Amino acid sequence: VFFAAGGIEALLMRTQLAVPNNNVLGPNTYDQLFTMHGLTMIFWFIIPMTTGAFGNYLIPLMIGARDMAFPRMNALSFWIFAASGIFVYAGLFLGSGPNAGWFDYVPLANRLYDPGRNIEFYSLGLLFNSIASTLTAANFIVTIFKFRAPGMSFNRIPLFCFAFLAASFGLLFALPSLSVDLIYLFLDRNVGTWFFTPAHGGSTLLWQHLFWFFGHPEVYILIVPAFGIATEIIPAFTQRKMIAFPLVAVAELLVVFVGFGVWAHHMFADGIPTTTLVFFAGATAMVVIPSTIQVWAWCSTIFTGLPRFKTPLLFIVGFILFFVTGGLTGVMFIAIPFTQQVTDTYFVVAHFHYIIFGAAVFPIFGGMYYWFPKVTGRMYFERPGQISFWLIFVGTNLLFFPMHIVGLLGMPRRVYTYPGGMGWTAYNVAETVGGFLTLAGILVLFGNLVVSYRRGAPAGPDPWHGPTLEWSIPSPPPEFNFAVIPKVTSAYPNWDEADRAEDARRLAAGEGVLDLGHEQMQSTPVDAYPDEVVRMPHSSPWPIVLALCLSGMFAVLTIEKYGVASVFAVLVGLSLLAWHADEPRTLEPPARGRPAATWGMATFIAAEAALFAMMVGTYFYLRFKNLHWPPPGIPEPKLLVPLVLLGVLLASAVPMQLAYRAARVGQVARARLLVLAALIVQAGYFAMEVSLYRDDLHRFTPQSHAYGSIYYVLLGAAHAHVAIGLLLNGWLLTKLAGGSTRYRLNALQAIALYWVAVGVITIVATLTVLSPAL
Amino acid sequence: LPRARLVTLPIAALALAGCGSKQDALDAHSKAARGISSLWWSMLAGSSLALSIVALVLLLAWVRRRKPGVPGVRDGDRAAWGVVVGLGLVVPIVVLSALFLFANIFLVRDTTLPTASAAAADRPTLTIRVIGHQFWWEVRYPGTRAVTANEIHIPARTNVQVLLYTRDVIHSFWVPELNKKVDLIPEQTNRLLLYADKPGRYRGQCAEFCGLQHAHMGMYVYADPPATFKQWLARESQPAPRAGSQLFVDKCGSCHTIRGTAASTHVGPDLTHVGSRSSLAALTIPNSTERMREWIRDPQRLKPGSLMPAVELTGTQVRRLVAYLEARK
Repeated sequence: VFFAAGGIEALLMRTQLAVPNNNVLGPNTYDQLFTMHGLTMIFWFIIPMTTGAFGNYLIPLMIGARDMAFPRMNALSFWIFAASGIFVYAGLFLGSGPNAGWFDYVPLANRLYDPGRNIEFYSLGLLFNSIASTLTAANFIVTIFKFRAPGMSFNRIPLFCFAFLAASFGLLFALPSLSVDLIYLFLDRNVGTWFFTPAHGGSTLLWQHLFWFFGHPEVYILIVPAFGIATEIIPAFTQRKMIAFPLVAVAELLVVFVGFGVWAHHMFADGIPTTTLVFFAGATAMVVIPSTIQVWAWCSTIFTGLPRFKTPLLFIVGFILFFVTGGLTGVMFIAIPFTQQVTDTYFVVAHFHYIIFGAAVFPIFGGMYYWFPKVTGRMYFERPGQISFWLIFVGTNLLFFPMHIVGLLGMPRRVYTYPGGMGWTAYNVAETVGGFLTLAGILVLFGNLVVSYRRGAPAGPDPWHGPTLEWSIPSPPPEFNFAVIPKVTSAYPNWDEADRAEDARRLAAGEGVLDLGHEQMQSTPVDAYPDEVVRMPHSSPWPIVLALCLSGMFAVLTIEKYGVASVFAVLVGLSLLAWHADEPRTLEPPARGRPAATWGMATFIAAEAALFAMMVGTYFYLRFKNLHWPPPGIPEPKLLVPLVLLGVLLASAVPMQLAYRAARVGQVARARLLVLAALIVQAGYFAMEVSLYRDDLHRFTPQSHAYGSIYYVLLGAAHAHVAIGLLLNGWLLTKLAGGSTRYRLNALQAIALYWVAVGVITIVATLTVLSPAL
Repeated sequence: LPRARLVTLPIAALALAGCGSKQDALDAHSKAARGISSLWWSMLAGSSLALSIVALVLLLAWVRRRKPGVPGVRDGDRAAWGVVVGLGLVVPIVVLSALFLFANIFLVRDTTLPTASAAAADRPTLTIRVIGHQFWWEVRYPGTRAVTANEIHIPARTNVQVLLYTRDVIHSFWVPELNKKVDLIPEQTNRLLLYADKPGRYRGQCAEFCGLQHAHMGMYVYADPPATFKQWLARESQPAPRAGSQLFVDKCGSCHTIRGTAASTHVGPDLTHVGSRSSLAALTIPNSTERMREWIRDPQRLKPGSLMPAVELTGTQVRRLVAYLEARK
């Protein structure tokens, strides 16, 4: 649905730009359309399609698991994603859709220049969406770390899963940067802080740094799952294993990792000193290397195998050509003067559409054909499939290739019209024709799949002789995926016939068979030794209720009804409570390894750490931009009391750990007492901090200067984490009052870990705001 | 006759279009732009070669598809690994290093202003200030009283330093035939080198999305022979004759300036010499009697979202205003 919306927006824009001085759409509509096109395709199509649909469906199948690690969280993520999409589109249909570009630069997005509610739909919609993406990313990481079939050690994980692991880590660490930026924007527009206003100590470049620190890894997050799909389709259709498997796995991870160091190449025209730019150009060059390694691994695997050019492989060949073309224009951006010439022109539009459409979406199409028999149990029709490929391939080239040329001929991006006589017209006509040709191909594709779903030939479990575990079970997969825990001895387990025969023998003998549906094997993260068998939760209505409450909260925030919003926030808390009221009451002894809950908490903490790193980064960025810090009229922070309090908070992490030790050996009363002691200390800390915070507010406010803005936001965020911890401890005490279960022990372990993290985060945050006095 | 006109019209249009109304980054008219465009051509050649090799490999794979008897490569074959490591790792490192060094150490110098240590002859002899507004360019010549809009005059064959400011949001100053683009950022003053090999008119445009009329924020750079430039600057620095138009002051003076009269507000462009400009509203329309009347009657129809409002004026008043403005040469 969102793909259709984004596509219609694109075609409307192409219609407007077909001829010079056209007036089908006014500038107001056009600006909303190009903003929404970018947002939709990135946040509501590619990410949910790859990480949402492909990842959720295939990762458990490929690693021999029965479901994702946190199935209810998965449901929550889905509903949040859907609600956030409806939310942003509500803005568009109310006539105040986001209109300052997906990059949303300030000051154009400040209230002064964009007084409507358009940007609230942008900032809140994306914040809302990023909750969904973070949950999904955490879920993938824990699933891949903990739920692999025994024997699937780290070097035997399918490349598809490596790719999704890379993308999930990317999301986990990149999204906080965007979230922080969006929060600043919302506060600047609605509360009167000054993060982005230079006259009050803020900085407009701060927005750009934080945005692109998210924005460039985001590009790799979009494309790495496509790499993963390619590395599944290529072995299946060439019947040979990927050449240089370990290099490709490392390259997939490296692309995302290095991608975090290149953000400023989006800012080459900002007037940043060349010496700084050279560093980012160098990092950009480094991204090229893992990419070329993969290209040659794909090409040489296809070349040395015996390729069958069925539709999925055709899409992958198209993908390789698009990726190489878009990659080569990307290499050109290493040359700083050239980038400064073509940035913000159609040349860049051509480049990233080759990457995002050609290289990220083509494998999605190929993957849809490839896994169609697995999902539906029926074959698609091959001839129309190939026709759809050629239509889309020719169409997209016609659509995007001329954009290189008009860009070099000087056509800037984001213009709703252009004059004649610039030499741009013929190319723009061709692009529009190509756009509609692409549409035709996509219609053939979806038409084919719809008809095949009803009339396709039965596919059988393994029509392609595919390499990974999903092809070892019937199509469509039964609800519990695997009847028996599969045996894995390589990265291409479905080709290990002896192992599959062994599975069949064990199934017949009843060995290693788990209770249908609700039992799941957990294994150790690196070597995948079997760890323990856990019960998976039943389905629950609470995720959707929670998503609805969150939607209500974001909706009323748009219209600045903070009171109503806090009512919804309380409802969110209550539905979380209700969600967790339904708990398993088993008393299994604790396993040696850490449970999935702790791993989940650890990923959550990693995202929070990134969030605070961004805020601390903001603090020092603004500090170096300002001559006087704190500015005249604002006193330096006092040292003694906050430092003492900090020590108190840190000390309170100790009884939490002791409580876990105690509960583990069955001393529930002792554990309760220790948690209570910690809770009292922490509540005291919190009360003192709140009163200090309020004292400060009498002296200066977030609206006095950017110094005040970051001071209160950073401290406020740290205090909010303490407050959440207090609620968690309170909840834990009520649970422990009813005796200990395995579930409660897991909760205690996770919450004890949370308090360690809160301690560390608070040290960093507090020392940062105290730094002028240190 | 009509047929002859049909033929000649497009030709005339083409001839006009050919003269300084394009902004072709590959039609370079300065050392900086030439360096960038020749870098582009060499990168294009290298890229075409790389893409052809990949395409050729895939084509060969298609040709030998499913041919029985073609020996497959065993897993972990060293030749295949060699290709991946050689073409995927070694070749890129060599090529990237060469490109990196050439572009970012050498070429980048030609596109930036000479540093303080440069030879005296290279240092810019003229500094101009360009101030971005939604959606037009204000141009000032420090040391003189000259203030103009959207049409920048510089002397040809001279290094000119452009200081870039913005009054509101971020814009980007870009005249592709002369040099790269640089953004106009609220919190800092950016600089750009402008140099033109020969006299002529070069088109430019705002390159950073700046709001509703980002599409209509064009400019011309006129590179004049140095002597002509001097004359132009001298004339441009002069105020208008004392006899102002009360109508202009009343109706337009709250935003516009005509130096020497009571209209002296700097919200919209300085119109002291508007009659000498070739275009209006940042290159949205040519500066002709008819178009100027249309523009004054209803700016929002020609440039929806422009900050210029439609002022209540009778037909006679519009004609008088336009006549007055056209005389501001």
